[in-house]
Amino acid sequence: MSAAPPAIKSQPQYRGLTWDASGQAHLLLLAARDDALLASLLGALPSAPIRVIDCADALAAFSAPAALEVTRAASLETALGLLDDALARASMGLRLYLAGPEDAIWQAHTIAAAYGMGRREIRLCQTGSLARPVFCVHCRSMTRHVRTNIVPCAGCGRALFVRDHFSRRLGAYMGFQIDAEAPGQVPPAETVYP
Amino acid sequence: MRPVIEMTIARTLDVAPGIREFWLKAADGSALPAYSGGSHIVLGLPLPGGLQRNPYSLVGDPADASKWRIAVRRQEGSRGGSAWLHDTAAEGMRLQVAVPANLFPMARLARHHVLIAGGIGITPILSHAREMARLGLSFEVHYAYRARAFAALADEVGAIAGDRLRRYDQSDGEKVDFEALLAGRPLGTHAYLCGPQPMVEAFHAIGTRLGWPGDRLHSERFVAPPPGDAFSVRLARSGLRVEVPPHRSMLEAIEAAGVSAPFMCRGGACGQCELEVLEADSALQHNDLYLSAEVRAGGRRIMPCVSRACGGCITVDL
Repeated sequence: MSAAPPAIKSQPQYRGLTWDASGQAHLLLLAARDDALLASLLGALPSAPIRVIDCADALAAFSAPAALEVTRAASLETALGLLDDALARASMGLRLYLAGPEDAIWQAHTIAAAYGMGRREIRLCQTGSLARPVFCVHCRSMTRHVRTNIVPCAGCGRALFVRDHFSRRLGAYMGFQIDAEAPGQVPPAETVYP
Repeated sequence: MRPVIEMTIARTLDVAPGIREFWLKAADGSALPAYSGGSHIVLGLPLPGGLQRNPYSLVGDPADASKWRIAVRRQEGSRGGSAWLHDTAAEGMRLQVAVPANLFPMARLARHHVLIAGGIGITPILSHAREMARLGLSFEVHYAYRARAFAALADEVGAIAGDRLRRYDQSDGEKVDFEALLAGRPLGTHAYLCGPQPMVEAFHAIGTRLGWPGDRLHSERFVAPPPGDAFSVRLARSGLRVEVPPHRSMLEAIEAAGVSAPFMCRGGACGQCELEVLEADSALQHNDLYLSAEVRAGGRRIMPCVSRACGGCITVDL
């Protein structure tokens, strides 16, 4: 929830998370523990049915209200599988809420988009690690959990500079070869996305 | 400005009581520009009182570049455009036609399309169904009409949609139940409606109550410019003063005075002809579907294709 707008327009901005009262059913995916966020969400529950998929033990500090149908998942992968199953059975009127690091919430977003869900049905909130998913513009591989401004590509090994340029379709930041002009001249990487 | 083509009425067919179909071809026989399902054209009709331009949805096959098809319902108590097309228009006549524009396009990322037509609203729905069938998309059609005899184009829709067509015959007491139609639909469904205003309102109200986001509920309606009081328009940039008679739209009067003004749909829907009102000594009568209540309350904007002043004189930035 930074006040300054991003230098690059495509970079997502997240403004907390609140329930959308126009929804007729709600599905919340929790991929990071954030007690303050949970407290605010649980303090203002909408009347429509709520399903929660929690793969971060995010509800540990709370006694979840009976109205919530909570499923705990051991991993993000399992949680995304549960999300896929839930969306396959869901109807128009559902609102989807995704809370966690960008890698997790944008993987979930990609699944939801494949079911035809749009911007007015999905709310995203970055919480937990600031690590970025990075898409290599050279070999088209994804490198996940990137905390540094320069990272070796998981696919082709090129030293990638991590840009703020973000693709909603790919759910990742663009990474391009930093030493393309001067091969071998790779500055030291710094941890900028803790 | 929207290009205009000179066209010939190649064929007229009476398809139902009060509904007449027209085939239009380029006067010079050339191939016509491509269009997408849901598009409309604007016909320039040579009425005794001057040229009247009316929008009509294309009902034909977008892949057919040899002709454009429209179906026109005779509007009783209207300004005479549809009556002229029914009584006077004949094969061989030439008309000035503005090329297709689409204010009612299909959502290409949808996983399923629910098409709903009320009466003559079948026209854009038919072109959508045809295109969706060709693209192999998942769709269904719901067609409500007063009675079987008025169900123009029903056979054509049936041939395209097969068992994906459901008919609602009002004379048998059948009507579209939006609650049942929109509830429990899979994610990624888009619904489209073209029909009378009460149907449009029920569609949006019930869809919204069921949690459909507004961008999943598509509707199209054009307004015919309603007559009103005579008034004057002063065009600020030229100082020209134009008189608008009761049965002529402000846009038509401006055009008849030889001034070229922006326009697209001429039915109060698209927003292209919006003008800034600099001065007005009478109330504005807004008939469009475009301006918000707040903008209307501001009294500084008007859509001259369908809206007018209640007498007196207004000055616009044109």
